[in-house]
Amino acid sequence: MKLWWAHTKAELLVLLRTPGFLIPTMLFPSMFFLMFAAPNLTSTVAANLSTGSFMAFAVFTVTFFQFGVGTANERENPWSSYVRTLPAHPVYRNLGKVATAAVLALLAALVLVISAGFSTPLDLPLARWPRIFLALAAGGVMMGLLGTALAYLVAPKAALPLANLIYLPLAFMGGMWMPPEWLPKLVQQISPYLPSRQWMELVWPAVAGDPWRLQPWIAVLAFTVAFALLAAWAQRRDELIR
Amino acid sequence: MIAAVRDAHKRLGRVQALRGVSLEVHEGELLALLGPNGAGKTTLVSLLVGLRSPDRGEVRLDGRDPREPAARRVLGMTPQGTGFPPALKVREVVELVRAHYPDPLPTAEVLARFGLEGLAGRSVQALSGGQARRLAVALAFAGNPRLAVLDEPTTGLDVESRRSLWREIQRFKQSGGTVLLTTHYLEEAESLATRVVVLDRGRVVAEGAPEAIKRRVGLKRVRLRAAELPEWPEVERREFEDGRYTLWTADADALVRRLVQSGVAFSDLEVLPVSLEEAFLAVLGEEEER
Repeated sequence: MKLWWAHTKAELLVLLRTPGFLIPTMLFPSMFFLMFAAPNLTSTVAANLSTGSFMAFAVFTVTFFQFGVGTANERENPWSSYVRTLPAHPVYRNLGKVATAAVLALLAALVLVISAGFSTPLDLPLARWPRIFLALAAGGVMMGLLGTALAYLVAPKAALPLANLIYLPLAFMGGMWMPPEWLPKLVQQISPYLPSRQWMELVWPAVAGDPWRLQPWIAVLAFTVAFALLAAWAQRRDELIR
Repeated sequence: MIAAVRDAHKRLGRVQALRGVSLEVHEGELLALLGPNGAGKTTLVSLLVGLRSPDRGEVRLDGRDPREPAARRVLGMTPQGTGFPPALKVREVVELVRAHYPDPLPTAEVLARFGLEGLAGRSVQALSGGQARRLAVALAFAGNPRLAVLDEPTTGLDVESRRSLWREIQRFKQSGGTVLLTTHYLEEAESLATRVVVLDRGRVVAEGAPEAIKRRVGLKRVRLRAAELPEWPEVERREFEDGRYTLWTADADALVRRLVQSGVAFSDLEVLPVSLEEAFLAVLGEEEER
């Protein structure tokens, strides 16, 4: 517990003292929402669904970049090898990172809900929030692992451009920015095979108050396991080279 | 014995970094691992501190596998270079490290011992090179470990900082601590170590008391102009170019004395220091060729 807190505190302090990273990361999804989605949201149903999508987008942004680009930068930093020589299981440090990413993702989602509350006829009853939270967390874990895998697979300098190249299409084609019916025909056909779209299939019923289907849960779980295995394999490979 | 390596082999990418190294670190000693750049010192240390495991052979720290976190409680280590987490303050870095140990030194004492008092609230990014280096070394002692592993601790430090760091290392040893130090400065090994192990191209090539090691690899270059010089036993290696001799020797005084007594006509006498890298090429490189 003491160790977990020591690492979480260090991560949070670094984050708080780099506002140049913190503020854009928190505001970017909301800005996107206010510019492109909010003006078209006239009904409560549409506002709820779109807010759910953009909350997922905010969580995606934070977890994918925090674990993708953050881990990639660390690979080159001698400090992270040093920390591995301290007498602590690496799980404490990783849990510190998860806690930090969770705090940041929550804040980004909160900023989004507040923006949506002011700009759209949003109405999400309190009873729906536990399921929304669960759906967002499940996708956040999945995307954090995808980011980690990416960080260990590619050269550290390539991580940021490549992360953007994966992140924006995944968000667009997964239906995070607009309802899937509005997507181009070809994209509509690809969309159901993407992890982002399967995640949305968890988020949408949660915000609409509809029951979940089992299939997207299985899909998200399968993607999560696949990304975890890929990340573990890539990390081992990286350790052997260095 | 607090740490031991038995017949360790390690390949890193295309480089065979260690080719069967055995090493014992005894409680209370100050062991210097000496070798030119690329000799395998850092790789050997990385095995001892649990960063890597050997391809073949065995590594023990306090009788256990150093990859087990609990085994590393006896260990304090310096980070390589000065890549601290950005945006943290000196005190926060020390406290993060202290949190890992059951009985750490007080933060104020750690800072005072390494000349960092008054810098506790300073951001690590605002430290000068020498201050950052001192903080890195201080971190090895923050947990009050039994074994401090210092990988090139004084590289890039000015003479005064180096001396004060040496004093702290000595003090740790006098209070019963064990130190494993890697260095490519013969002077550092000579003035600190109780025992020196010399590594070259992934092998242990010499081991012994600092004076004995110095006699083998502590060379000087004597340069002079002369028509012809006889063979002398003090000369490890000689070169002749443009009427100028370069003689490598472990005892420049004796060589100069012999030169004068021999009555050979010479001019432009110079005695020059030899880096460890050059000394290894002159002494050990030849042994391998034989």
